[in-house]
Amino acid sequence: MSLFFLQMRNELHKLFARKRTYLGFAAFVAVEILLLLLLNLPKPKAGFRKLIEQNGYGFDQYFSGATLGLLMLMWTTFLLGALYLALVAGDVVAKEVEDGTLRMILCRPISRLRVGFLKYAACVLYTFALTFFIGITALVAGLLYCGWGGLFAIAPLEQLLAMHEAWPGLWRYLGALPLLGFGLVSISSLGFLFSCCEMKPAAATILTLSIFFFDSIFRSIPYFESLRGWFMTSHMTLWLRVFEYHIPWWRIAEDVTWLGALNVTFALVGLAILQQRDFKA
Amino acid sequence: MIRLEHLSKTFKKRVALEDLSLEIRQGEIFGLLGHNGAGKSTTLGMLLGQIYPTSGEAFIRGVSVQQNRQKALDKVGAIFEEPAFHDYLSGWDNLRILTSYSAHLPDEELREAVRFTGLEKRIHDPVWVYSHGMRQRLALAQALLPRPDLILLDEPAEGLDPEGIYEMRKLIVRLNRERGMTVVLSSHLLAEVEQLCDRVAILNQGRLIFEGRWSELTADPSPAHRLEVDDWKKAGGILQKLRVSRPTTETIVLAPGGDMADVVSALVKGGVRIRAIEPLRRNLEDIYLKAISAANGA
Repeated sequence: MSLFFLQMRNELHKLFARKRTYLGFAAFVAVEILLLLLLNLPKPKAGFRKLIEQNGYGFDQYFSGATLGLLMLMWTTFLLGALYLALVAGDVVAKEVEDGTLRMILCRPISRLRVGFLKYAACVLYTFALTFFIGITALVAGLLYCGWGGLFAIAPLEQLLAMHEAWPGLWRYLGALPLLGFGLVSISSLGFLFSCCEMKPAAATILTLSIFFFDSIFRSIPYFESLRGWFMTSHMTLWLRVFEYHIPWWRIAEDVTWLGALNVTFALVGLAILQQRDFKA
Repeated sequence: MIRLEHLSKTFKKRVALEDLSLEIRQGEIFGLLGHNGAGKSTTLGMLLGQIYPTSGEAFIRGVSVQQNRQKALDKVGAIFEEPAFHDYLSGWDNLRILTSYSAHLPDEELREAVRFTGLEKRIHDPVWVYSHGMRQRLALAQALLPRPDLILLDEPAEGLDPEGIYEMRKLIVRLNRERGMTVVLSSHLLAEVEQLCDRVAILNQGRLIFEGRWSELTADPSPAHRLEVDDWKKAGGILQKLRVSRPTTETIVLAPGGDMADVVSALVKGGVRIRAIEPLRRNLEDIYLKAISAANGA
Protein backbone atom coordinates (compact mmCIF):
# COMPACT_ATOMS: atom_id res chain seq x y z
CA MET A 1 0.00 0.00 0.00
CA SER A 2 1.47 3.38 -0.90
CA LEU A 3 2.24 5.74 1.94
CA PHE A 4 -0.47 8.15 0.84
CA PHE A 5 -3.20 5.51 1.08
CA LEU A 6 -1.85 4.33 4.42
CA GLN A 7 -2.05 7.89 5.71
CA MET A 8 -5.51 8.32 4.21
CA ARG A 9 -6.70 5.11 5.85
CA ASN A 10 -5.35 6.35 9.18
CA GLU A 11 -7.09 9.71 8.81
CA LEU A 12 -10.38 7.91 8.18
CA HIS A 13 -9.68 5.56 11.08
CA LYS A 14 -9.30 8.61 13.36
CA LEU A 15 -12.60 10.02 12.14
CA PHE A 16 -14.61 6.81 12.21
CA ALA A 17 -13.20 5.46 15.48
CA ARG A 18 -14.66 8.38 17.40
CA LYS A 19 -17.65 7.65 19.57
CA ARG A 20 -19.20 10.79 18.15
CA THR A 21 -19.44 9.16 14.74
CA TYR A 22 -21.61 6.33 16.00
CA LEU A 23 -23.70 8.59 18.19
CA GLY A 24 -24.13 10.96 15.27
CA PHE A 25 -25.13 8.25 12.86
CA ALA A 26 -27.57 6.87 15.47
CA ALA A 27 -29.01 10.39 15.86
CA PHE A 28 -29.69 10.50 12.13
CA VAL A 29 -31.63 7.25 12.30
CA ALA A 30 -33.58 8.59 15.29
CA VAL A 31 -34.48 11.80 13.42
CA GLU A 32 -35.53 9.78 10.38
CA ILE A 33 -37.85 7.63 12.49
CA LEU A 34 -39.28 10.73 14.13
CA LEU A 35 -39.91 12.33 10.74
CA LEU A 36 -41.47 9.12 9.51
CA LEU A 37 -43.91 9.12 12.38
CA LEU A 38 -44.70 12.83 11.93
CA LEU A 39 -45.33 12.41 8.20
CA ASN A 40 -47.79 9.66 8.97
CA LEU A 41 -49.87 11.73 11.36
CA PRO A 42 -53.41 12.28 10.00
CA LYS A 43 -52.97 16.00 9.19
CA PRO A 44 -49.77 15.85 7.12
CA LYS A 45 -51.03 12.70 5.47
CA ALA A 46 -54.25 14.43 4.46
CA GLY A 47 -52.20 17.29 3.03
CA PHE A 48 -50.21 14.89 0.88
CA ARG A 49 -53.37 13.11 -0.22
CA LYS A 50 -54.81 16.41 -1.39
CA LEU A 51 -51.64 17.39 -3.21
CA ILE A 52 -51.20 14.06 -4.99
CA GLU A 53 -54.85 13.68 -5.92
CA GLN A 54 -55.05 17.29 -7.16
CA ASN A 55 -52.45 16.32 -9.74
CA GLY A 56 -54.52 13.40 -10.86
CA TYR A 57 -52.53 10.57 -9.29
CA GLY A 58 -53.47 7.88 -6.81
CA PHE A 59 -52.50 8.58 -3.22
CA ASP A 60 -51.95 4.91 -2.38
CA GLN A 61 -49.55 4.51 -5.26
CA TYR A 62 -47.43 7.62 -4.65
CA PHE A 63 -47.44 7.93 -0.85
CA SER A 64 -44.80 5.20 -0.77
CA GLY A 65 -41.51 4.23 0.82
CA ALA A 66 -39.55 6.14 -1.82
CA THR A 67 -41.63 9.32 -1.29
CA LEU A 68 -41.22 9.15 2.47
CA GLY A 69 -37.53 8.34 2.03
CA LEU A 70 -37.04 11.44 -0.10
CA LEU A 71 -38.89 13.67 2.37
CA MET A 72 -36.86 12.26 5.26
CA LEU A 73 -33.66 12.71 3.31
CA MET A 74 -34.45 16.37 2.54
CA TRP A 75 -35.30 17.29 6.10
CA THR A 76 -32.60 15.25 7.80
CA THR A 77 -29.81 16.65 5.68
CA PHE A 78 -31.09 20.20 6.14
CA LEU A 79 -31.72 19.96 9.87
CA LEU A 80 -28.95 17.68 11.04
CA GLY A 81 -26.61 17.02 8.13
CA ALA A 82 -25.38 20.60 7.93
CA LEU A 83 -24.86 20.78 11.68
CA TYR A 84 -23.05 17.48 11.84
CA LEU A 85 -20.76 18.13 8.88
CA ALA A 86 -19.95 21.61 10.17
CA LEU A 87 -19.03 19.96 13.47
CA VAL A 88 -16.83 17.30 11.89
CA ALA A 89 -15.12 19.63 9.41
CA GLY A 90 -14.78 22.41 12.00
CA ASP A 91 -12.96 19.96 14.24
CA VAL A 92 -10.77 18.30 11.68
CA VAL A 93 -7.79 20.64 12.05
CA ALA A 94 -8.76 22.96 14.91
CA LYS A 95 -9.38 20.13 17.37
CA GLU A 96 -6.05 18.54 16.57
CA VAL A 97 -4.38 21.90 17.11
CA GLU A 98 -6.24 22.37 20.39
CA ASP A 99 -5.40 18.85 21.61
CA GLY A 100 -1.78 19.13 20.50
CA THR A 101 -1.91 16.08 18.22
CA LEU A 102 -1.15 18.20 15.15
CA ARG A 103 2.14 19.27 16.72
CA MET A 104 2.95 15.59 17.19
CA ILE A 105 2.29 15.03 13.49
CA LEU A 106 4.31 18.07 12.51
CA CYS A 107 7.39 16.66 14.26
CA ARG A 108 7.57 14.27 11.36
CA PRO A 109 9.03 14.78 7.91
CA ILE A 110 5.70 15.45 6.25
CA SER A 111 4.65 18.69 4.63
CA ARG A 112 1.81 20.72 6.09
CA LEU A 113 0.25 20.76 2.65
CA ARG A 114 0.04 16.98 2.64
CA VAL A 115 -1.35 16.83 6.18
CA GLY A 116 -3.96 19.42 5.25
CA PHE A 117 -4.85 17.66 2.02
CA LEU A 118 -5.24 14.33 3.85
CA LYS A 119 -7.57 15.92 6.33
CA TYR A 120 -9.62 17.63 3.65
CA ALA A 121 -9.87 14.43 1.63
CA ALA A 122 -10.97 12.55 4.77
CA CYS A 123 -13.68 15.19 5.30
CA VAL A 124 -14.92 14.78 1.74
CA LEU A 125 -15.06 10.98 2.01
CA TYR A 126 -16.79 11.28 5.36
CA THR A 127 -19.39 13.59 3.80
CA PHE A 128 -20.17 11.06 1.08
CA ALA A 129 -20.28 8.20 3.58
CA LEU A 130 -22.75 10.16 5.71
CA THR A 131 -24.88 11.09 2.70
CA PHE A 132 -25.15 7.49 1.56
CA PHE A 133 -25.90 6.37 5.10
CA ILE A 134 -28.74 8.88 5.49
CA GLY A 135 -30.04 8.19 2.00
CA ILE A 136 -30.10 4.43 2.32
CA THR A 137 -31.48 4.32 5.87
CA ALA A 138 -34.23 6.82 4.94
CA LEU A 139 -35.20 4.71 1.94
CA VAL A 140 -35.14 1.46 3.90
CA ALA A 141 -37.16 2.99 6.75
CA GLY A 142 -39.68 4.38 4.26
CA LEU A 143 -40.01 1.07 2.40
CA LEU A 144 -40.41 -0.87 5.62
CA TYR A 145 -43.11 1.50 6.82
CA CYS A 146 -45.01 2.27 3.63
CA GLY A 147 -43.89 -0.29 1.08
CA TRP A 148 -43.13 -0.14 -2.61
CA GLY A 149 -44.62 2.51 -4.91
CA GLY A 150 -44.11 5.56 -7.07
CA LEU A 151 -42.06 8.58 -6.11
CA PHE A 152 -43.67 11.93 -5.44
CA ALA A 153 -41.05 14.70 -5.35
CA ILE A 154 -41.89 18.16 -4.07
CA ALA A 155 -39.62 21.14 -3.30
CA PRO A 156 -41.47 24.48 -3.57
CA LEU A 157 -38.41 26.76 -3.58
CA GLU A 158 -36.92 24.76 -6.45
CA GLN A 159 -40.32 24.72 -8.16
CA LEU A 160 -40.17 20.96 -8.19
CA LEU A 161 -43.31 18.88 -8.37
CA ALA A 162 -42.93 15.53 -10.09
CA MET A 163 -44.31 11.98 -10.02
CA HIS A 164 -42.26 8.98 -11.08
CA GLU A 165 -43.08 5.31 -11.42
CA ALA A 166 -41.57 3.01 -8.82
CA TRP A 167 -38.40 1.82 -10.62
CA PRO A 168 -37.51 5.07 -12.40
CA GLY A 169 -38.20 6.84 -9.10
CA LEU A 170 -35.88 4.51 -7.24
CA TRP A 171 -33.07 4.99 -9.79
CA ARG A 172 -33.47 8.75 -9.61
CA TYR A 173 -33.38 8.57 -5.83
CA LEU A 174 -30.14 6.55 -5.86
CA GLY A 175 -28.68 8.76 -8.59
CA ALA A 176 -29.42 11.88 -6.55
CA LEU A 177 -27.34 10.70 -3.58
CA PRO A 178 -23.85 11.39 -5.05
CA LEU A 179 -25.05 14.83 -6.10
CA LEU A 180 -26.43 15.49 -2.62
CA GLY A 181 -23.05 14.40 -1.24
CA PHE A 182 -21.29 16.76 -3.64
CA GLY A 183 -23.52 19.61 -2.49
CA LEU A 184 -22.85 18.86 1.16
CA VAL A 185 -19.10 18.89 0.53
CA SER A 186 -19.46 22.68 0.37
CA ILE A 187 -20.31 22.73 4.07
CA SER A 188 -17.37 20.45 4.82
CA SER A 189 -15.06 22.64 2.73
CA LEU A 190 -16.21 25.79 4.50
CA GLY A 191 -15.78 24.06 7.87
CA PHE A 192 -12.30 22.93 6.83
CA LEU A 193 -11.34 26.49 5.88
CA PHE A 194 -12.35 27.88 9.28
CA SER A 195 -10.78 24.90 11.01
CA CYS A 196 -7.42 25.86 9.51
CA CYS A 197 -7.66 29.37 10.96
CA GLU A 198 -6.43 30.23 14.42
CA MET A 199 -9.69 29.65 16.25
CA LYS A 200 -11.37 27.16 18.55
CA PRO A 201 -13.14 24.18 16.93
CA ALA A 202 -16.49 25.41 18.23
CA ALA A 203 -15.94 28.81 16.60
CA ALA A 204 -15.16 27.14 13.27
CA THR A 205 -18.38 25.11 13.51
CA ILE A 206 -20.52 28.10 14.49
CA LEU A 207 -19.10 30.25 11.69
CA THR A 208 -19.73 27.52 9.12
CA LEU A 209 -23.28 26.98 10.29
CA SER A 210 -23.99 30.72 10.45
CA ILE A 211 -22.89 31.19 6.85
CA PHE A 212 -24.91 28.18 5.73
CA PHE A 213 -28.10 29.27 7.46
CA PHE A 214 -27.75 32.94 6.45
CA ASP A 215 -27.19 31.85 2.88
CA SER A 216 -30.16 29.54 3.08
CA ILE A 217 -32.48 32.15 4.64
CA PHE A 218 -31.48 35.04 2.37
CA ARG A 219 -31.89 32.85 -0.68
CA SER A 220 -35.51 32.20 0.20
CA ILE A 221 -36.36 35.90 0.67
CA PRO A 222 -38.22 37.09 -2.47
CA TYR A 223 -36.25 40.38 -2.48
CA PHE A 224 -33.10 38.42 -3.37
CA GLU A 225 -34.75 36.36 -6.09
CA SER A 226 -32.69 37.97 -8.85
CA LEU A 227 -29.51 37.13 -6.94
CA ARG A 228 -30.48 33.55 -6.15
CA GLY A 229 -27.83 32.15 -8.47
CA TRP A 230 -25.10 33.70 -6.31
CA PHE A 231 -26.12 31.84 -3.18
CA MET A 232 -24.20 28.70 -2.28
CA THR A 233 -27.31 26.88 -1.12
CA SER A 234 -29.04 27.48 -4.49
CA HIS A 235 -26.40 25.29 -6.10
CA MET A 236 -26.41 22.81 -3.24
CA THR A 237 -29.90 21.77 -4.27
CA LEU A 238 -28.53 20.35 -7.54
CA TRP A 239 -29.51 16.86 -6.43
CA LEU A 240 -33.21 17.78 -6.53
CA ARG A 241 -32.95 18.51 -10.26
CA VAL A 242 -32.59 14.76 -10.83
CA PHE A 243 -36.28 14.43 -9.89
CA GLU A 244 -37.49 16.82 -12.61
CA TYR A 245 -39.27 15.08 -15.50
CA HIS A 246 -36.56 16.10 -17.94
CA ILE A 247 -33.29 16.12 -16.06
CA PRO A 248 -31.57 19.46 -16.83
CA TRP A 249 -28.05 18.10 -17.25
CA TRP A 250 -26.63 21.45 -18.33
CA ARG A 251 -27.98 23.04 -15.16
CA ILE A 252 -26.53 20.25 -13.04
CA ALA A 253 -23.18 20.66 -14.80
CA GLU A 254 -23.33 24.37 -14.05
CA ASP A 255 -24.04 23.68 -10.37
CA VAL A 256 -21.25 21.10 -10.18
CA THR A 257 -18.82 23.59 -11.72
CA TRP A 258 -19.96 26.37 -9.42
CA LEU A 259 -19.73 24.24 -6.30
CA GLY A 260 -16.50 22.60 -7.44
CA ALA A 261 -14.87 25.99 -7.85
CA LEU A 262 -16.18 27.07 -4.45
CA ASN A 263 -14.95 23.92 -2.75
CA VAL A 264 -11.51 24.14 -4.33
CA THR A 265 -11.28 27.78 -3.28
CA PHE A 266 -12.28 27.00 0.31
CA ALA A 267 -9.81 24.12 0.47
CA LEU A 268 -6.95 26.12 -1.05
CA VAL A 269 -7.50 29.08 1.26
CA GLY A 270 -7.58 26.67 4.22
CA LEU A 271 -4.37 24.99 3.09
CA ALA A 272 -2.67 28.35 2.57
CA ILE A 273 -3.61 29.40 6.11
CA LEU A 274 -2.35 26.08 7.48
CA GLN A 275 0.89 26.52 5.59
CA GLN A 276 1.76 29.93 6.98
CA ARG A 277 0.68 29.77 10.61
CA ASP A 278 2.80 28.96 13.66
CA PHE A 279 2.02 25.98 15.86
CA LYS A 280 3.02 26.48 19.44
CA ALA A 281 1.98 25.02 22.77
CA MET B 1 24.43 18.17 13.94
CA ILE B 2 22.42 21.32 14.69
CA ARG B 3 23.31 24.88 13.82
CA LEU B 4 21.14 27.82 14.73
CA GLU B 5 22.03 31.04 12.97
CA HIS B 6 20.76 34.29 14.45
CA LEU B 7 17.31 32.94 15.16
CA SER B 8 14.78 35.51 16.29
CA LYS B 9 11.05 35.26 16.81
CA THR B 10 8.53 37.91 17.69
CA PHE B 11 4.91 37.01 18.43
CA LYS B 12 2.96 40.17 17.72
CA LYS B 13 4.96 42.60 19.87
CA ARG B 14 6.46 40.08 22.29
CA VAL B 15 10.03 39.02 21.62
CA ALA B 16 10.22 35.28 22.26
CA LEU B 17 13.73 34.74 20.96
CA GLU B 18 16.46 37.19 20.09
CA ASP B 19 19.41 36.48 17.85
CA LEU B 20 20.11 32.95 19.04
CA SER B 21 23.14 31.25 17.52
CA LEU B 22 24.15 27.80 18.72
CA GLU B 23 25.91 24.70 17.59
CA ILE B 24 25.12 21.24 18.89
CA ARG B 25 27.54 18.45 18.10
CA GLN B 26 26.74 14.94 17.02
CA GLY B 27 26.44 12.43 19.85
CA GLU B 28 26.15 14.88 22.71
CA ILE B 29 23.37 15.47 25.18
CA PHE B 30 22.72 19.16 25.04
CA GLY B 31 20.58 20.99 27.58
CA LEU B 32 18.46 24.04 26.93
CA LEU B 33 17.89 25.60 30.29
CA GLY B 34 15.64 28.48 31.21
CA HIS B 35 12.56 29.38 33.16
CA ASN B 36 9.10 29.25 31.65
CA GLY B 37 8.83 31.69 28.76
CA ALA B 38 12.59 31.88 28.29
CA GLY B 39 12.30 30.73 24.66
CA LYS B 40 13.20 27.04 24.95
CA SER B 41 10.02 25.68 23.36
CA THR B 42 10.10 28.37 20.70
CA THR B 43 13.61 27.25 19.81
CA LEU B 44 12.52 23.62 19.55
CA GLY B 45 9.41 24.69 17.60
CA MET B 46 11.63 26.44 15.05
CA LEU B 47 13.94 23.42 14.86
CA LEU B 48 10.91 21.32 13.97
CA GLY B 49 9.59 23.85 11.48
CA GLN B 50 6.41 24.37 13.50
CA ILE B 51 7.23 28.00 14.17
CA TYR B 52 8.60 30.27 11.48
CA PRO B 53 11.48 32.47 12.64
CA THR B 54 11.13 36.21 12.19
CA SER B 55 14.75 36.09 11.09
CA GLY B 56 17.60 33.60 11.05
CA GLU B 57 17.75 29.98 10.08
CA ALA B 58 18.07 26.55 11.70
CA PHE B 59 20.07 23.72 10.16
CA ILE B 60 19.99 20.01 10.95
CA ARG B 61 22.84 18.03 9.42
CA GLY B 62 23.49 21.03 7.22
CA VAL B 63 19.95 21.09 5.81
CA SER B 64 17.90 24.20 6.44
CA VAL B 65 14.69 23.45 8.34
CA GLN B 66 13.10 26.54 6.85
CA GLN B 67 14.08 25.72 3.26
CA ASN B 68 13.71 21.94 3.26
CA ARG B 69 11.84 20.87 6.36
CA GLN B 70 11.08 17.33 5.21
CA LYS B 71 14.70 16.46 4.48
CA ALA B 72 15.95 18.19 7.62
CA LEU B 73 13.52 16.24 9.84
CA ASP B 74 14.12 12.96 8.09
CA LYS B 75 15.86 11.43 11.11
CA VAL B 76 14.51 13.49 13.96
CA GLY B 77 12.27 12.40 16.81
CA ALA B 78 10.62 14.72 19.29
CA ILE B 79 8.48 14.71 22.38
CA PHE B 80 6.74 17.53 24.16
CA GLU B 81 6.03 18.48 27.72
CA GLU B 82 2.47 17.22 27.48
CA PRO B 83 2.42 14.62 24.73
CA ALA B 84 -0.91 14.58 22.96
CA PHE B 85 -2.54 11.48 21.53
CA HIS B 86 -5.91 10.38 20.27
CA ASP B 87 -7.13 9.22 23.63
CA TYR B 88 -9.95 7.10 22.23
CA LEU B 89 -7.47 4.96 20.31
CA SER B 90 -5.03 2.42 21.72
CA GLY B 91 -1.37 3.21 22.23
CA TRP B 92 -0.58 0.87 19.36
CA ASP B 93 -3.01 2.61 16.98
CA ASN B 94 -1.55 5.96 17.94
CA LEU B 95 1.94 4.67 17.18
CA ARG B 96 0.83 3.30 13.83
CA ILE B 97 -0.89 6.53 12.89
CA LEU B 98 1.96 8.78 13.92
CA THR B 99 4.67 6.71 12.29
CA SER B 100 2.71 6.53 9.04
CA TYR B 101 3.47 10.23 8.60
CA SER B 102 7.15 9.27 8.29
CA ALA B 103 7.24 5.89 6.61
CA HIS B 104 5.52 2.55 6.25
CA LEU B 105 7.10 0.64 9.15
CA PRO B 106 6.87 -3.07 9.81
CA ASP B 107 5.12 -4.05 13.04
CA GLU B 108 8.33 -5.57 14.40
CA GLU B 109 9.98 -2.15 14.41
CA LEU B 110 7.05 -0.72 16.34
CA ARG B 111 7.19 -3.60 18.81
CA GLU B 112 10.89 -2.97 19.38
CA ALA B 113 10.24 0.66 20.30
CA VAL B 114 7.43 -0.47 22.59
CA ARG B 115 9.76 -2.97 24.28
CA PHE B 116 12.47 -0.35 24.68
CA THR B 117 10.10 1.97 26.51
CA GLY B 118 8.62 -0.87 28.58
CA LEU B 119 5.03 -0.46 27.38
CA GLU B 120 4.47 -4.00 26.05
CA LYS B 121 1.75 -4.95 28.52
CA ARG B 122 -0.39 -1.84 28.06
CA ILE B 123 0.18 -0.91 24.44
CA HIS B 124 -3.24 -2.15 23.31
CA ASP B 125 -5.13 -0.25 26.02
CA PRO B 126 -6.85 2.99 25.04
CA VAL B 127 -4.64 5.96 25.78
CA TRP B 128 -7.21 7.62 28.01
CA VAL B 129 -6.44 5.06 30.72
CA TYR B 130 -2.69 5.78 30.61
CA SER B 131 -0.92 7.55 33.46
CA HIS B 132 1.21 10.58 32.68
CA GLY B 133 4.31 8.42 32.87
CA MET B 134 2.90 5.94 30.37
CA ARG B 135 1.99 8.75 28.01
CA GLN B 136 5.57 10.00 28.21
CA ARG B 137 6.80 6.49 27.41
CA LEU B 138 4.45 6.28 24.46
CA ALA B 139 5.69 9.68 23.32
CA LEU B 140 9.22 8.41 23.53
CA ALA B 141 8.30 5.25 21.62
CA GLN B 142 6.83 7.27 18.75
CA ALA B 143 9.84 9.57 18.76
CA LEU B 144 12.12 6.54 18.31
CA LEU B 145 10.36 5.56 15.11
CA PRO B 146 11.74 5.31 12.53
CA ARG B 147 15.23 5.24 14.11
CA PRO B 148 16.17 8.89 14.46
CA ASP B 149 19.72 10.06 15.06
CA LEU B 150 18.56 13.23 16.77
CA ILE B 151 15.93 13.46 19.46
CA LEU B 152 14.42 16.68 20.79
CA LEU B 153 12.90 16.46 24.26
CA ASP B 154 10.84 19.33 25.56
CA GLU B 155 10.52 19.03 29.35
CA PRO B 156 10.39 15.22 29.26
CA ALA B 157 10.27 14.85 33.05
CA GLU B 158 7.52 17.41 33.59
CA GLY B 159 4.71 16.00 35.69
CA LEU B 160 6.45 12.69 36.34
CA ASP B 161 6.85 11.22 39.80
CA PRO B 162 10.43 10.65 41.09
CA GLU B 163 10.42 7.07 39.85
CA GLY B 164 9.21 8.23 36.44
CA ILE B 165 11.88 10.92 36.30
CA TYR B 166 14.55 8.33 37.12
CA GLU B 167 13.24 5.94 34.45
CA MET B 168 13.07 8.68 31.84
CA ARG B 169 16.61 9.75 32.67
CA LYS B 170 17.84 6.19 32.28
CA LEU B 171 16.12 5.89 28.90
CA ILE B 172 17.69 9.12 27.67
CA VAL B 173 21.16 7.97 28.69
CA ARG B 174 20.57 4.61 27.00
CA LEU B 175 19.50 6.31 23.80
CA ASN B 176 22.66 8.36 23.79
CA ARG B 177 25.07 5.58 24.79
CA GLU B 178 23.56 2.54 23.09
CA ARG B 179 22.19 4.14 19.95
CA GLY B 180 24.55 7.08 19.66
CA MET B 181 21.69 9.55 19.41
CA THR B 182 22.21 13.25 19.77
CA VAL B 183 19.80 14.49 22.41
CA VAL B 184 18.58 18.04 22.87
CA LEU B 185 16.84 18.39 26.18
CA SER B 186 14.87 21.45 27.15
CA SER B 187 14.16 21.77 30.83
CA HIS B 188 13.84 24.07 33.74
CA LEU B 189 14.87 21.28 36.12
CA LEU B 190 18.48 22.06 36.90
CA ALA B 191 19.26 18.70 38.47
CA GLU B 192 18.02 16.92 35.37
CA VAL B 193 20.16 19.02 33.07
CA GLU B 194 23.20 18.70 35.33
CA GLN B 195 22.98 14.92 35.50
CA LEU B 196 22.34 14.35 31.82
CA CYS B 197 23.89 17.04 29.71
CA ASP B 198 27.39 17.39 28.35
CA ARG B 199 26.85 21.02 27.45
CA VAL B 200 24.13 23.53 28.20
CA ALA B 201 22.73 26.76 26.91
CA ILE B 202 20.88 29.03 29.30
CA LEU B 203 18.16 31.21 27.87
CA ASN B 204 16.62 34.14 29.63
CA GLN B 205 13.87 36.30 28.14
CA GLY B 206 14.69 34.97 24.71
CA ARG B 207 18.41 35.69 24.93
CA LEU B 208 21.30 33.29 25.24
CA ILE B 209 23.15 34.08 28.43
CA PHE B 210 25.46 31.08 28.67
CA GLU B 211 26.68 28.32 26.41
CA GLY B 212 29.25 25.76 27.39
CA ARG B 213 30.01 22.86 29.67
CA TRP B 214 28.12 22.64 32.91
CA SER B 215 31.46 22.39 34.69
CA GLU B 216 32.36 25.87 33.40
CA LEU B 217 29.39 27.21 35.27
CA THR B 218 30.38 25.45 38.45
CA ALA B 219 34.11 25.96 38.01
CA ASP B 220 34.56 28.54 40.80
CA PRO B 221 35.59 26.76 44.00
CA SER B 222 32.81 26.89 46.49
CA PRO B 223 33.46 29.20 49.47
CA ALA B 224 31.29 27.01 51.72
CA HIS B 225 32.62 23.95 53.57
CA ARG B 226 31.39 21.53 56.15
CA LEU B 227 33.75 21.35 59.09
CA GLU B 228 33.86 18.98 62.03
CA VAL B 229 36.19 19.83 64.92
CA ASP B 230 36.60 18.67 68.53
CA ASP B 231 36.35 22.12 70.11
CA TRP B 232 34.05 24.65 68.50
CA LYS B 233 34.69 27.26 71.19
CA LYS B 234 38.41 27.40 70.39
CA ALA B 235 37.80 27.09 66.66
CA GLY B 236 35.22 29.91 66.71
CA GLY B 237 37.77 32.46 67.90
CA ILE B 238 40.31 31.44 65.28
CA LEU B 239 37.73 31.53 62.47
CA GLN B 240 36.56 34.98 63.55
CA LYS B 241 40.10 36.31 63.22
CA LEU B 242 40.27 34.88 59.70
CA ARG B 243 36.91 36.56 58.82
CA VAL B 244 35.29 33.18 58.16
CA SER B 245 31.55 33.21 58.75
CA ARG B 246 29.52 30.34 60.22
CA PRO B 247 25.91 30.33 58.99
CA THR B 248 25.29 27.03 60.82
CA THR B 249 27.30 25.16 63.45
CA GLU B 250 29.18 22.96 61.02
CA THR B 251 29.18 25.20 57.95
CA ILE B 252 31.84 27.77 57.31
CA VAL B 253 31.99 30.24 54.44
CA LEU B 254 35.33 31.72 53.44
CA ALA B 255 35.76 35.43 52.92
CA PRO B 256 36.36 36.52 49.30
CA GLY B 257 39.87 35.50 48.32
CA GLY B 258 40.17 33.22 51.35
CA ASP B 259 42.01 29.92 51.13
CA MET B 260 40.86 26.83 52.98
CA ALA B 261 44.48 25.71 53.45
CA ASP B 262 45.14 28.82 55.56
CA VAL B 263 42.09 28.06 57.68
CA VAL B 264 43.20 24.46 58.28
CA SER B 265 46.73 25.57 59.14
CA ALA B 266 45.47 28.20 61.64
CA LEU B 267 43.12 25.73 63.31
CA VAL B 268 45.86 23.10 63.68
CA LYS B 269 48.30 25.67 65.02
CA GLY B 270 45.62 26.80 67.49
CA GLY B 271 45.36 23.24 68.82
CA VAL B 272 42.01 22.41 67.24
CA ARG B 273 41.64 18.81 66.06
CA ILE B 274 39.92 18.62 62.69
CA ARG B 275 37.77 15.50 62.29
CA ALA B 276 36.31 16.17 58.85
CA ILE B 277 36.29 18.82 56.15
CA GLU B 278 34.54 18.89 52.80
CA PRO B 279 33.65 21.56 50.31
CA LEU B 280 29.93 22.11 49.94
CA ARG B 281 28.69 22.11 46.34
CA ARG B 282 27.12 25.25 45.04
CA ASN B 283 23.38 25.28 45.03
CA LEU B 284 22.24 24.77 41.42
CA GLU B 285 19.70 27.53 41.65
CA ASP B 286 22.48 29.86 42.78
CA ILE B 287 24.53 29.05 39.71
CA TYR B 288 21.58 29.56 37.40
CA LEU B 289 20.50 32.78 39.04
CA LYS B 290 24.08 34.02 39.03
CA ALA B 291 24.29 33.47 35.27
CA ILE B 292 21.00 35.29 34.77
CA SER B 293 21.89 38.20 37.00
CA ALA B 294 25.31 38.49 35.35
CA ALA B 295 23.57 38.68 31.97
CA ASN B 296 21.02 41.19 33.21
CA GLY B 297 23.75 43.29 34.74
CA ALA B 298 25.83 43.21 31.60
